[in-house]
Amino acid sequence: MIWVSWRQSRSQAIACLGVLAALAVYAILVGSSMRTAFSHDGLAACLARSQGTSCPAAVSAFMNKFGSAVNIAFWSVLLIAPGLLGVLVGAPLIARELEFGTWRLAWSQTVPRTRWLAVKLALVTGGLVLLGAAITAVITWYRAPMDRLTGHLINNVYDFEGLVLTAYILCAFGFALLAGLLLRRSIPAMIAAFIPWLAIRLAVEYLLRPNFQAPLTFRQNCASGCSVGAGIGSVPPVTGHIGDWVLGQPAGQSGNQLVSYLYQPADRFWHFQFIEAGLFVALTAAALGAAIWLLHRRPA
Amino acid sequence: MIHDDVVGNAPALRTAGLGRRYGHVWGLRDCTLTVPAGAVVGLVGPNGAGKTTLLQMIIGLLQPTEGQLEVFGETTRANSAKALARVGYVAQDHPLYRDFTVADMFHLGRAMNPSWDQGVATARMDALGIPLKRKIKGLSGGQQAQVSLAMALAKRAPLLALDEPVSSLDPIARLDFMRELMAAAADTGVTVIVASHVVSELERLCDWLIVLTGGRMQLAGPVDDLLAAHRLLTVPRATRDAELPGLAIHRADSDRHSTVLVRIDPARLAAQERREWGVEPVGFEQLVLAYLQRPSGASTDNPAQAAARPGPATKEVTR
Repeated sequence: MIWVSWRQSRSQAIACLGVLAALAVYAILVGSSMRTAFSHDGLAACLARSQGTSCPAAVSAFMNKFGSAVNIAFWSVLLIAPGLLGVLVGAPLIARELEFGTWRLAWSQTVPRTRWLAVKLALVTGGLVLLGAAITAVITWYRAPMDRLTGHLINNVYDFEGLVLTAYILCAFGFALLAGLLLRRSIPAMIAAFIPWLAIRLAVEYLLRPNFQAPLTFRQNCASGCSVGAGIGSVPPVTGHIGDWVLGQPAGQSGNQLVSYLYQPADRFWHFQFIEAGLFVALTAAALGAAIWLLHRRPA
Repeated sequence: MIHDDVVGNAPALRTAGLGRRYGHVWGLRDCTLTVPAGAVVGLVGPNGAGKTTLLQMIIGLLQPTEGQLEVFGETTRANSAKALARVGYVAQDHPLYRDFTVADMFHLGRAMNPSWDQGVATARMDALGIPLKRKIKGLSGGQQAQVSLAMALAKRAPLLALDEPVSSLDPIARLDFMRELMAAAADTGVTVIVASHVVSELERLCDWLIVLTGGRMQLAGPVDDLLAAHRLLTVPRATRDAELPGLAIHRADSDRHSTVLVRIDPARLAAQERREWGVEPVGFEQLVLAYLQRPSGASTDNPAQAAARPGPATKEVTR
């Protein structure tokens, strides 16, 4: 069965390795020049000395040069990339057999169909975990200089580092596998799985994640004059500590001299990663469990 | 030679009241029959008669809705390895993985079947001149059917089930396939069930016959017994069915005479035979066609009606 699974998935595996290689090449090209600039500008020493407050010109030059390539380009591609990867691998796994009638071949050998699926799931999810970990490693290495300025708790960074990227891939895979079993067609299954995946992904990012733990409040004394709202996305953020994720100002602030900000401190990164990855892995497990149960029960 | 694991003299297949419902529609109902080991069974019926439903329940791909099903004396539980191991299956249109080579397909067979005999599979390909390195999509339909047959045989299951194996093939490929199948059945003594709506293909192959229409079994038994139990009578047109020495299965009226295919009651034939009647034996194809044309006593899409009239077709046939 292991050989069978490998033989049926190997072209996908090779394609995934190709994507990973392309990403690595891009990361090495841009990442190297970013590293050169980072050390050339003496940013490391400045950050160690003052959290970046003593060298605003160097910080802003670096951010201007690399901020759009690293943050905006990555955000737009990597928002949907894990979902695409997951559904492209997940949807055909069962749907292809149903679409081409080969289920009658696959499930009439001396391997019950639930075991057939279990072996495939073990191997393919294992492969996806390795792939997710590899992509995460490449991005984390690539972003390292940038992360020293921004930390990795803020939205466009948090999503590609740690555990969540892998969990996003698995979730899309699980949804697509289940959709493939229900719809019996690969392409509709991909679409039917991708849309709820994206909805959940964005809902978690914008609605749940800021509240995984109660945010802390930072009060800024504006007696000597400071513009309200400034410093949310700056380096360092308004809290003065690199890596803190400033969520914004609570509603209903009167115009007094103390301005308060809600924020999540930088050291909650792993805690949040575990919560969010756990959520997506639980969704994956539910989808895969439903697929196994349905496959066991379905007439044919 | 491959029947070492078969327990005693258990029949290859035994069903009692077997039925399978899809939603509100019965795909097969009231199927009761016993097929001895070693039989080569033709399973005949129009499309949608329930042939595939019966085969998939036998294989263990489909769970029966009601009734019992035993393969070689053991109750079949759908999707158990034990049930799957007992039957080699060639599905309709012989599905194979198109981007696999023939060798890959056999590798799959070896990986997924403990009793796989690689020699059987490769020897067949050698004999047929099908290269093992060729991709499935590069083979003709007939060659693909042969690969499917080789895989089913190499599984070395005591029962071989084939679903419309030749319906998509050209006449030459049909002949080749049937010849290979007959040779394999004769060599190994495997019990074979071939579903087909092409009656002529089955005549030379089968020594057992099952006719299904509309989800109901119309006829089942050894071909010789069935032929012996039927006669083609030529009688005056005025003769009523009740005067015939048995059950009229199919009647064709011409100007003055009627030709009636009758399942005879031997005692009544001797007593009732009139000198002016013509009595002829029936042929295989004639017999099958008569039963296929017979109005299927029960409608399959009306379970209430069928339940009110318990097992009409089945009972009279298996008596």
